[in-house]
Amino acid sequence: MNNAANTPPGWSYNPAAWSQRLPIIVLAVAGFVMAAYLALYQYRVVPKVWEPFFHEGSETILNSDLSRLLPVSDAALGAFAYLLDAITGIIGSQKRWQTMPWLVIAFAILVGPLGAVSIALVIAQPLLFDAWCTLCLATAVISVLMIGPAMDEVLATLQYLKRIHTHSAAQFWRAFWGLKTALE
Amino acid sequence: MWSQFIATLIGIWLMAAPAVLEYAGAAADNSHITGPLVATLAAVALWECTRGVRFANVPLGLWLVIAPMVLEHETPAAVNSVACGLALASLAFVRGRVKRSFGGGWAALLRHQAGKTA
Repeated sequence: MNNAANTPPGWSYNPAAWSQRLPIIVLAVAGFVMAAYLALYQYRVVPKVWEPFFHEGSETILNSDLSRLLPVSDAALGAFAYLLDAITGIIGSQKRWQTMPWLVIAFAILVGPLGAVSIALVIAQPLLFDAWCTLCLATAVISVLMIGPAMDEVLATLQYLKRIHTHSAAQFWRAFWGLKTALE
Repeated sequence: MWSQFIATLIGIWLMAAPAVLEYAGAAADNSHITGPLVATLAAVALWECTRGVRFANVPLGLWLVIAPMVLEHETPAAVNSVACGLALASLAFVRGRVKRSFGGGWAALLRHQAGKTA
């Protein structure tokens, strides 16, 4: 499964192996389910939201003006982002750090801002509304936990692109899109 | 790894501290802002590949040490801020065990390679 041919040069393991990617995909799916549930409450498809600790906290946060700043609610946007994370986590072979650099980098660009926005919203909860929302915090934990494990694959891809660029700058974009190059 | 795990817990503690130690105002706002930032950075640094992120908690820790001099803090809040700050800044220097290798890591992206001069 995780054979040496897929492992990037100088690495002791393959960051694109399923054993490495699966936990991130599971986290993304869990984040999607939670965010989708919160969005369903925001659009009143479900009438009440589950809140075990902070009483009216979830209602305050989920019905706040901040959550409706954009045309779609923040949880709906979050659910969409987690879904994209899960999909970009699944696509590609165990050598995708080399065969699909564009995808690995798109995946990183999705994971990074998702974490940043989640943390900004966590800061906003006590600061602007003096309230906490349990499931909102849980989704933030998930998006933070995804960052670390996602980054090794990005590093392998960037190292590969750097090698290509050093060898022949003209081949860079072909490598980026996963097309055949003279190197490797 | 254990050092960044403790740092993550300190970040989470900071988020809860205003409620537990019963302080409000600027001191509470400061805890509510730095807590999630500290916890996030430490949680990213849990993984070997991104262990270097731990150093980002040095300036945040130092800020917590001086915050009681800049913002109004009651005594318990001030003691907590300084203690957490010192712990965070110190823990950032504990690298912990890194068993895996990453092809030269993030530094390899900046390094000039032999092929370029040839």
